[in-house]
Amino acid sequence: MSQAARILLVDDEASIQRALAPLLRSRGYDVAVATTGEEALAAVRSQAPDLIVLDLGLPDIEGTEICRRVRAESAVPIVVLSARGGESDKVSVLDIGADDYVTKPFGPEELLARIRVALRRVFSEDEMPGGRLQLGDLAIDYDRRRVLRGDEEIRLTPKEFELLALLMRNSGRVLTHRAILKAIWGPNAVNQPEHLWVLMGQLRKKVEPDPAHPRYLLSEPWVGYRFAIL
Amino acid sequence: MSQSFARRDALILALALAAIVAVTAAFRVGLHLTNPTTAALSYLLIVLVTAAASTLWAAIAASCVADLCLNYFFMPPFGTFTIADPQNWAALFAFLAVSVIASNLSAAVRDREREATARHDELARLFDLSRDILLTTDSRDAIPQLALFISRRFDLAFAAICLPRGSDWDVFDAGTLSVTLDPTQLSEAFRAADRALEFDARARTYAGHRTARVDGRTVHVVPLRLGTKPVGLLAAAGRAIEPGALDAIAGVSAIAIERTQFLEERKSAEIARRNEELKSALLASLAHDLRTPLTAIRVAASNLQASWLADSERRDQSDVILVEVERLHRLFQNVLDMARIDAGAVAAERQWVHPSEIFEAAREQVEQTIRDRPIEVVSESDLLVRVDPRLTAAALAHVLENAAQYTSGGSAIEVRLTAASDGLTMTVRDHGPGIGAGDLPHLFDRFYRGAGAARRVAGTGMGLAIARGMLIAEQGRIWAENCAGGGAQFSIVVPAESRPTASAEQTA
Repeated sequence: MSQAARILLVDDEASIQRALAPLLRSRGYDVAVATTGEEALAAVRSQAPDLIVLDLGLPDIEGTEICRRVRAESAVPIVVLSARGGESDKVSVLDIGADDYVTKPFGPEELLARIRVALRRVFSEDEMPGGRLQLGDLAIDYDRRRVLRGDEEIRLTPKEFELLALLMRNSGRVLTHRAILKAIWGPNAVNQPEHLWVLMGQLRKKVEPDPAHPRYLLSEPWVGYRFAIL
Repeated sequence: MSQSFARRDALILALALAAIVAVTAAFRVGLHLTNPTTAALSYLLIVLVTAAASTLWAAIAASCVADLCLNYFFMPPFGTFTIADPQNWAALFAFLAVSVIASNLSAAVRDREREATARHDELARLFDLSRDILLTTDSRDAIPQLALFISRRFDLAFAAICLPRGSDWDVFDAGTLSVTLDPTQLSEAFRAADRALEFDARARTYAGHRTARVDGRTVHVVPLRLGTKPVGLLAAAGRAIEPGALDAIAGVSAIAIERTQFLEERKSAEIARRNEELKSALLASLAHDLRTPLTAIRVAASNLQASWLADSERRDQSDVILVEVERLHRLFQNVLDMARIDAGAVAAERQWVHPSEIFEAAREQVEQTIRDRPIEVVSESDLLVRVDPRLTAAALAHVLENAAQYTSGGSAIEVRLTAASDGLTMTVRDHGPGIGAGDLPHLFDRFYRGAGAARRVAGTGMGLAIARGMLIAEQGRIWAENCAGGGAQFSIVVPAESRPTASAEQTA
């Protein structure tokens, strides 16, 4: 991050913009704003932002539609602001290609954390998927397919390892059930979430100090799972 | 009715006797004919015509008279009832037998025809009754209506539907006659109907028919059955109706009663469904309308705590908070008003005000929304009106807010205030896209959002419904229309007393 990341803030509510823009600027981001979907799409082309914060309830274009159009031409991370309670909306934007979501009303730190995670993904994308990753107590060695908690090795089945590796590589970021199923079992398994529930149960038993109150492998109810930001 | 029948039969019998006399006279005096065969055939013709036109008894009476005439005038020795030739005894007896049997046959055919006509008539009445029942869609007074239909369609001076309610009876009666039914008798008939279900093939009725004597009148009581189970009783008086027909009426009535219950259930299910829908609509829009201001407030407040803000930015952040708190306050006020309107807790307190005061109060309430709109106000008369200023201003405020929200920024809003002797009229005209034809009928419904507007404009769909609710509390009206030159116009009318202002009085 040699130069400040540029964030495009898209929200039709003036108050949200007036509150969020100074917050983001204060953290060193370069902020551009848009109030409609058309403006946002134009800004994506003209300003090439490093990240988009997108409100789903825009007056002119559906949020999902904006995600789809942005994805069609760019891989820029999208963090969605959702005011509706509807989980299906979140899942569908995540499946279309949004990177994460925050539900209103959110606190500033929550949004900032999501933005950091999404940006880190961009700036670390070129790195090899191999190597060793240490998050909190947990260390994962992609090359040797080993997982350590502290000094103690945890024995995982291949599928458990894949799931943990996937979540840790995307630590802090929500992965939808669908995305996980597709990555581990293939595209035919996306409608069989029970595979995932069972596997997650097993993995938590091995990895979590207290499987009933997970601190690493967090559920996002109705949406997916997230490896805790540590 | 039976009396007029008897009179008609007597008349036909008299005509038949006259015809017999005429034939006798014509044959004996005019034609000097004495052939008994010719006379007998002529008499037989008269008897048959009588049988066809009237009752069996009239025909038999005519046969007997004809038989006597045949004997007296046409069988030797003439002029006496004595018969010389024994062969003529046989002829006379044969004539009587033939005429009686022929009369019988003819009368039987007539009876059958009469019965068929009666059935047809009964069927037509039943058809009319069932059509009446099917056309009844309001469940509230369907059962009194049913009694009325029965009494009207079957020419009954008294018809009553009796439905058991615990040990007591709900009696819905109709007709010109008033008969007080005895509940104990009804209960007894009902119990009997519950116990026995037999079909009497000859009378074509089911068991359970009763007749009661009330005030010297015969009242027929028939069980109303759904399937085999009695659900009530039908009482009828004023005209003799065949038991089979009564059964048929009772059957149709039972279906009508079941239909009524079904209609009622459907109505309450519909109301429950609508309430459920309204509730979820409210929750969804509240969720949206609460979360956005809360987010802005939360972020702005934490910004204010941070040390990195410049003074000017600090003011801006607190401004954000104030604006959003105001918005939340207004939302909260709307929810409260809605609840009060629902509970019927809005009462008008009228006082003398000038229309422009009402406009000023309304403008103040929605200052945030209409701040940057050019508003043109025309106040047409200088009368004071006696209205509830709070309710009227709140209603106008909602209409103004609505006009500002649903038209593009910068377009003008025109307000016209007219106080007249019969009340206050206020119109708000905008230059927006107008109101969609599909939206017009629902504009003032609770939580209704215009098609497409639901996404474009934030709102809960409460404003106009509240405006209407408040105006109803002071007998006012509100309606909307599209203007010929584009844009929409909302009109509010509050009936009220009016008087000139003090200053106008002084100058007068």
